[in-house]
Amino acid sequence: MQHTQSSSIPTSGTVTARAPTGTWLIRLPLNGSLLVDKRALFAASLLTLLLLISIVISLCLGATNYSPAEVLDALFGESNPMTAFILNELRLPRVIAGILSGAGFALAGCLMQTLARNRLATPGIIGIDNGATAFAIASVVGLVTSLAPPEMALIGAATATALAFGLAGGAGTRGYRFIIAGIGIGALFGAFTQLMLARAHIDVANQAYPWTVGSLNARPENAVLILAVGLAIGLVGALFLARALKILRFSEPVARGLGVRVNACRYTSLVLAVALTAMAVAVAGPVGLVGLIGPEIARHLSSTRSVPFISSALAGALVMVLADTVGRMMLMPLEVPVGIVTAIVGGPYLLWILLVSPRNTP
Amino acid sequence: MSKTHMTPLGSRRLMLIMVAAVILLGLACFLSLLVGAGSVTPADAFAVLLGQGTTEAQFVVGELRLPRTLVAVVVGAALAVSGALLQAVTRNPLAEPGLLGVSAGSAFAVALAIALGASAATLKISVAQFGALAGCLCALGAARLRGVGDDPVRLVLAGAALSSLLIALTSLLLLIDLGTADEIRFWIVGSVAGRNLSDLIDTIPSLLIAGVVTVLIARPLAALALGERVAVGLGHRPGLVRLLAILAVALLVGSATAVAGPIAFVGLVVPFAARALAGPDIRRTLWLCLPLGPLVVVVADILSRLVVQPSELPLGVLTAMIGAPVLVAVVRARRLPTL
Repeated sequence: MQHTQSSSIPTSGTVTARAPTGTWLIRLPLNGSLLVDKRALFAASLLTLLLLISIVISLCLGATNYSPAEVLDALFGESNPMTAFILNELRLPRVIAGILSGAGFALAGCLMQTLARNRLATPGIIGIDNGATAFAIASVVGLVTSLAPPEMALIGAATATALAFGLAGGAGTRGYRFIIAGIGIGALFGAFTQLMLARAHIDVANQAYPWTVGSLNARPENAVLILAVGLAIGLVGALFLARALKILRFSEPVARGLGVRVNACRYTSLVLAVALTAMAVAVAGPVGLVGLIGPEIARHLSSTRSVPFISSALAGALVMVLADTVGRMMLMPLEVPVGIVTAIVGGPYLLWILLVSPRNTP
Repeated sequence: MSKTHMTPLGSRRLMLIMVAAVILLGLACFLSLLVGAGSVTPADAFAVLLGQGTTEAQFVVGELRLPRTLVAVVVGAALAVSGALLQAVTRNPLAEPGLLGVSAGSAFAVALAIALGASAATLKISVAQFGALAGCLCALGAARLRGVGDDPVRLVLAGAALSSLLIALTSLLLLIDLGTADEIRFWIVGSVAGRNLSDLIDTIPSLLIAGVVTVLIARPLAALALGERVAVGLGHRPGLVRLLAILAVALLVGSATAVAGPIAFVGLVVPFAARALAGPDIRRTLWLCLPLGPLVVVVADILSRLVVQPSELPLGVLTAMIGAPVLVAVVRARRLPTL
């Protein structure tokens, strides 16, 4: 994705671009080159493999269990109509929604962490989820406007972010003040959500309920489509920003000195993160901890050389699909919302980060 | 002059503030009896207070509004004092029972006990107190661990993680066991409405013990605020003082949670206001918390009845709306004040 640094330094006579250790240099036509990090590639492949396995597992398990062979038959070949219907019409859309929303949350989390230079600054923790949820519910219960819930979720996410950044004193904020402001804002939006649910008619409140817990059960058709498109744009955008963001992890003057347009880069990635969060919330509700866990897994697997956007998205999708499968299977006739599963897994992990590991930033 | 500085309540200004707070609290309680979401108008309710009025109005005022006002007063005082104590012990202005997961621990313990077959009526208070104690120890364990103790904000984050975990576990329990869900559905929201006076009476012994302990440790805590060495030099034993303070917090939060369910942010807002009014001395803060805590909860409760008539709002929602801006304000202060 990025040019080698050695190629930008003029050496005597010929430009000898040598790949840094641990990377492959792929020459492209038109004098271009692509530096592929071996470890990042390894991480992405491993995560892709795990994701594929977890998808098959998720499709296999349910009220009726199928063998992996049956699943593959139904997906790619012929099988009896009943099996095909259950797998293709019922389970597959759910898994796809899980993959997309998990990837969206994790990518947004990774962007946010890099931007705020704090691995705890994920959308879920700083209240963006809650903002999106509150606004989406305002739309469901018919308050204020006639905008559809996904659009309102976007507005809510943007509002919450603006508040968090505004109250913490600017986009350059490093550290925890920003996060606490976010926690306060999240609590506030949570309270508003409760308020609207309390005011709403019981039918409307039931309709709005899936928004509040985080579940893949009620996924609006068009929201999934929007998320798919948004995720594609977000991934491409993140990869374009990757080099600048990588440098931005150093201090701001260093980044400026290396020719990064700091503010433009910050605001672009902030907009991407907010939009991705909002679109993912529109599909799955507030499952914010995926935005923390996904990038963490990715960071453990990949090298620290670059910002692991692709691996984060893959890991987020993996976590989401697995958590949803566990939630479906845990108490079989009942379905545990995926938000509860991720909170039970992610809460201790967050504590562990806070208490045990030394203070470090991505 | 020197004499007035000897006693915590000596200063004239503090006395005035106390009197004003108590008068306001009286007014708020009076108002709490008068207004409500139902069809009983303030005039009807006033007639009841004068000894007349229809039977309906008498029932509403005597059986519904009076208990909830009393509960609000007790819960407000307990939560405010526990917040002030916890902040003094951790020397952290953001330490709040709700934010640190103490209330969530208490709620989870109750849900677990009921799910395991205990009856809601008998066990609730002791179990809630035990859960609060466990939550306190978790929070303080976190504070003792490397790095977090000095950093108010990291402690709050750890608390947020702990409470999100406990809340998720509680909702999982409720999901598994529909009977439990039905039994504690109304309790888990956090409200002072529809609570039993008998619950309140059951908590009196624990509240009294907590009160005595608080009075005993107020002076050592004030010494501790000057630093560990100073406190030791003055003849106090910091470890013992902290332990007693945690016990008092667990008793207070457990009782309040058992009666009213988890209510967040009161323990943050009230000591914050009390410190702003009375200065950093823990003894003054504690005194001022006694009328201010009930004042905040009673007013929030009145608002919760009025905002969404004819239905009511959970009290926790209103305290969050008041508390979240205060949290942001505390964090926004240029230097986080250390206690």
